[in-house]
Amino acid sequence: MSERDFHPLVKQLLDGDITIADLPAELRREGEEALQLLAAVDRRPVELPAVPDRVMRALVRAPQRSALRRLIERPWVLAPALALAAALVVWLGWPAGSPIATPSAGAITVRFVLAAPNAHEVSVAGTFNQWDPRATPLVRTGANGVWSATITLPAGQHQYAFVVDGVRWVPDPAAPAIDDGFGRRNSVLTL
Amino acid sequence: MRSETEASDGEIVRAVLAGDRERYAQLVTRYRDRYARYAARMLGSNDAAEDAVQDAFVRAYDQLAQCKDPNKFVGWFFLILRNRCFAEQRRSRDQAPLEAAADVVSADRTEGGAETAERRRALQLALLELTPDQREVFVLKHVEGLSYGEIAERLSTSVPSLKMRMHRAYDKLREELREHT
Repeated sequence: MSERDFHPLVKQLLDGDITIADLPAELRREGEEALQLLAAVDRRPVELPAVPDRVMRALVRAPQRSALRRLIERPWVLAPALALAAALVVWLGWPAGSPIATPSAGAITVRFVLAAPNAHEVSVAGTFNQWDPRATPLVRTGANGVWSATITLPAGQHQYAFVVDGVRWVPDPAAPAIDDGFGRRNSVLTL
Repeated sequence: MRSETEASDGEIVRAVLAGDRERYAQLVTRYRDRYARYAARMLGSNDAAEDAVQDAFVRAYDQLAQCKDPNKFVGWFFLILRNRCFAEQRRSRDQAPLEAAADVVSADRTEGGAETAERRRALQLALLELTPDQREVFVLKHVEGLSYGEIAERLSTSVPSLKMRMHRAYDKLREELREHT
């Protein structure tokens, strides 16, 4: 036991097994120090009124994991789609460069970019990936906290949002947005 | 016949598994705050706690079929939230704890005066210097008010091992508080 450690009797005091009156006189001061520590414990309740809305919104956006599980169990069903995607990648010359969107015969290569210097992970979820926040991760592209992902999408209108650290859904600041019907904003991309 | 608001956890879980997704909101509303304080003290931030609780509820929904006893949903949910908090701590291990505790500190100006706020702040920062295991036993006993026996049951461990963890936590907290006050 180092001299910085609480005396075992003082630890019993902290555990609530004895009172300060049970301590010998030479340990009273240390006992008072220990009780001051406990007096600083913050027991105030923490309320999270927004959580139900946030949870139900996330469930609406990613309603069926069972579909994902079916894919995991039977990955070969993806083969035709993967073959098509691979063909598009080769055809379009992956990865796309600086243009945000590169049109080509009905399939458009799109680069999603978000500046999020404090994020640990960023993904994009939208109508094109069944709002699955795990499906399309962005990659940190430099030291300045810019994240990007380049994917190929069919022509038409797509809605999406960025997912920061797996839980924060944020619209694209560089794109128009519409109400998603649940009080939040989805970004809109028209190709 | 019981109303929906009086439905048991088990009844709601079974309804959700049968396809009534909207009933899950009842469970979320019922338990959103129960472990919010645990998560906030474990992570050092109310914002981080909110993210963790939300994520834990989404994960619990995804894995609901694995809840072996729907009547014990809340205990099962706690373990998911606990895993989420530990994972978050592993992920943010390299971040400065001062940054993590920033919003706890800034939000703590309304009750008990500046001195109380400063003591709370110092202790919260010291808590972030503990290992997650040490911090958890301290939070469950001294914030949530559980006994060693209740904590041992919840975490499937023994009282002596919890006491050993806690007593190391006391020494570490003393050291941290002396260094920073």
